Amino acid sequence: MKNALIVNNLTLSVPSSKGRVTVVDDVSFDIPAGTKVGLVGESGSGKSLTAYSLMRLIKDPVRIDKGEIYIGDREILGMSMKEFRHMRGNDISMIYQDPMSALNPIMRIGAQIIESIQLHSDVNHSQARKLAIEHLASVGIPEPDRRIDSYPFEMSGGMLQRVVIAIALSGEPKVLIADEATTALDVTTQDRVLTLIDKLAAERGLSVLLITHDLGVAAQFSDEIMVMYAGKLVERGSVNQIFSNPVHPYTKALLDSRCDYTIDVTKPINSIAGQPPRPDNRPEGCVFSPRCEHVQLQCREGVPPLISVQDRLAACFRADELFHVGMVH
Amino acid sequence: MKFKSRFSFSGFLILLILGICLAAPILSPYDPNAIGVADSFSGPTGKHWFGADDLGRDLLSRILYGGRITILIAMSATLIALIIGTLWGLTAGVRRGWVDEFLMRTADATMAIPQILFALVCISAVGASVISLPIVVGILLSPTTARMARSAVVTELSSDYVVAAIASGTKRSRLIISEVMPNIAPQLLVQLSINAAAAVMLEATLSFIGLGIQPPNASWGTLMLQGYAKIWNTYWFVFFPAMAVTITILAFNAYGERIRVTMDSRRSSI
Repeated sequence: MKNALIVNNLTLSVPSSKGRVTVVDDVSFDIPAGTKVGLVGESGSGKSLTAYSLMRLIKDPVRIDKGEIYIGDREILGMSMKEFRHMRGNDISMIYQDPMSALNPIMRIGAQIIESIQLHSDVNHSQARKLAIEHLASVGIPEPDRRIDSYPFEMSGGMLQRVVIAIALSGEPKVLIADEATTALDVTTQDRVLTLIDKLAAERGLSVLLITHDLGVAAQFSDEIMVMYAGKLVERGSVNQIFSNPVHPYTKALLDSRCDYTIDVTKPINSIAGQPPRPDNRPEGCVFSPRCEHVQLQCREGVPPLISVQDRLAACFRADELFHVGMVH
Repeated sequence: MKFKSRFSFSGFLILLILGICLAAPILSPYDPNAIGVADSFSGPTGKHWFGADDLGRDLLSRILYGGRITILIAMSATLIALIIGTLWGLTAGVRRGWVDEFLMRTADATMAIPQILFALVCISAVGASVISLPIVVGILLSPTTARMARSAVVTELSSDYVVAAIASGTKRSRLIISEVMPNIAPQLLVQLSINAAAAVMLEATLSFIGLGIQPPNASWGTLMLQGYAKIWNTYWFVFFPAMAVTITILAFNAYGERIRVTMDSRRSSI
């Protein structure tokens, strides 16, 4: 299948008292057209920075040191900002964590959608307004012809997120990035918004990158899941592989630290000992080695590459072995 | 604190002061420059409500006419400060980097010069007139406006909806006009009101030290200067113009505060 998005060796750094430190380290992945990929990780694992790189929203002091990003077949990091501006919204769009603040508080939502439509296509105001009403209807806003004249503060969070989605999709992009798009919403609304994105993605053949720290959300929504830890991609596989059969010790530990009432309420919830390393204090070798219960000497000496293990990708020297001895459950 | 009604006493007072000054020719009982020696040093009486000065000129009429000059100078100065300050702050906030450093350090440097000293030098160089005074006062007020505008612009530019607009491919010029400016307008309005109060004060101060509008025309500051010499014998010479200045400044400051509070309660109620 053709890839809608390819990221090669993306490396980001920030300045610190010890010089520039790497926060996203040599991350490579691709998203096949029409696929929904979940990117999960803890706070500070670099998942949002990765997403912002795709939109070229990285600002000083964060810097992209290395890497290539292809959207469709065009490399975006090398092109001029002026050239890339035309791709924003048309080829790649983003929706945000907090819909309340992602909309201009003093502009009617209609005006904001119309602005976005006119930015991406050559239509006059009344045509754009008609399109805006259609867009609002397609994201499930009741009475779109009346709601179009509402201000953001007159609408609920879930409705606003729908408006944000309508704006994001108004340029008919091929790739949609959802950066913690449901985190600020309550659980029932979260579910509805996810279902909506799912439906729209299916209708339009969108590729979606869903960034979240919520494993449940990622599992419900995605076809594939990528796990990030301390700036590194540690495992990538199908939802089934990741959830029932993780091979990377970090993925396994992450799953064990979930609170899952459906399986066994008496089972204690494990936590991962220690803390994720600070970016200026990352360990030699595998980044997870100081907290890993399966650590060996080689883990502390070399960095494990992200390689194919058991039909998925994992960055662990012992992945194959751990899979066979049944680390899982 | 939230205001239930849209009515604002300070706003009403400002309109009233502006109205009275505008209508000075209709309202004032006498020609402000008409000399009537018979009434020299008259205290407040039925004939001269606010008294009369050493040449027998009616103080009420002089205050009404003086208000026109004071308000005119204050308003033009405020407008000049708003335009210079906003462009100054906007450029710094949008450009950032060394441009920002340069512009803001220039603002700091300008603010470090004592206002009166700066005005003294400028006015002595070009002379006091209804043109030079607003320009000097406007320039004096612009660095604070620039600072305020810059911080508002920087805050807006880093807000999510601006990032969202950038991410959907909006041009920078469009971003500033349709996203940033309308959102910093309330803050600019507050600053406008504070500046107006400061401009009235500065004009009065400059006139009081003899750098203002020259006789026979008079602004409130000039009237105070004239009255000050005779404060022990004829207190009303200085009392009434001073009251006019005080009430005007209070009204502008209160109005600025009112806008600020209204804006805050709106923001927090969202």
